[in-house]
Amino acid sequence: MVSAPGVNGGSRGLREMAHEDAGEGAGDRELDALMARLADGDRSVFDEVFRRLWPPTLRLCISLVRHEADGADAAQLAMLKILERAADYDRSRPALPWALAIAAWECRTLKRWRQRRHEDPVDESERTQGTGGEQELVNRDLMRAALASLGELSDLDRDTLLSTFWDEGGSSSGATLRKRRERALGRLRSTFRRLYGIGE
Amino acid sequence: MESESKDLDRTLQRARSRYEWARARRAVLGFLPALGLVGVACAFSERPLRALGFGLVLFLVGATVLWYGRELRRAVLPGLAAGVVPMLLVLVGAHVGHSCEGSSCTSLCLIACIVGGTLAGFVVGASKTAREAGVAFWLAASSVALLTGAMACSRLGFAGIGGLLAGYGVGLVPSLIRRALSKAT
Repeated sequence: MVSAPGVNGGSRGLREMAHEDAGEGAGDRELDALMARLADGDRSVFDEVFRRLWPPTLRLCISLVRHEADGADAAQLAMLKILERAADYDRSRPALPWALAIAAWECRTLKRWRQRRHEDPVDESERTQGTGGEQELVNRDLMRAALASLGELSDLDRDTLLSTFWDEGGSSSGATLRKRRERALGRLRSTFRRLYGIGE
Repeated sequence: MESESKDLDRTLQRARSRYEWARARRAVLGFLPALGLVGVACAFSERPLRALGFGLVLFLVGATVLWYGRELRRAVLPGLAAGVVPMLLVLVGAHVGHSCEGSSCTSLCLIACIVGGTLAGFVVGASKTAREAGVAFWLAASSVALLTGAMACSRLGFAGIGGLLAGYGVGLVPSLIRRALSKAT
């Protein structure tokens, strides 16, 4: 499973991330609308969609491939795949996590291909120069994907997971909470897989 | 920096062409079931080559409309549904043959082309009004409907196609009147 750094005690709390997420909501909704128009055949938004998707895709790919040059190559391939599949975009889903899921898949394919050829990058000088800021942005993209998955769960599952993250026991405790949490986590995982195609 | 920007421009161009190819592939696959109608029209026609000719044009037009997308894409299904009406009527009419009263006989196929065309025009006009769609929708739906109907009506030659067109024009009248009235008020 692609972990979402920051969820379990990262540098920023879930509450802070969620708050920031609400601020980015407008931008995300704009991207959703642009993607829906592109899926419908409106070519005039093509450049704008590309411009908005490129930075998070590049960040994610560099972070996953852990190699700046290969990450950039993977991001370019991912952009081709994302825009090739633009007509399949389901407008009921958020566009950015959908696109990042394709990018993540592309990166995984590249990594597997390199592993098969025993070409894992070893040159430390070429390794990603990822700053804390860049990592923060990657974390934020993944967090948004996780929050979108969380939004698909039932109220009970959502409350259970959120109270776990915020260390609030709620009314139930012990074995009941543990079982409920395990079930909710299982459903979150399968929702994440269903929505974004990654996470086994 | 400049090479990075050039790289990105190249990626953008490649992405654009991949997008178009994917849309084209999707459009061809999406319109593939319409070939079933072409097959039926050819199988039951006395002049299968004519039906095939109209069928190929129909496929080209339908796939192009689906590839283009936007408002035009939504015209394909109503157009096909409307075109199936004259097509089926003509196939049934051809099975029955002629309607004779006294000494005069009339080909039911010709009547089927005219009546089917009228119904098709009515269906397209109604769906254009219901969707409050523009002229592009009307043109696309009409092309698909007429080409679908023409596959069957072409067995009668120009008379069949003419009957279909005339009927279609009559079928559009109610929606034109409704449009004129709504503009006036």
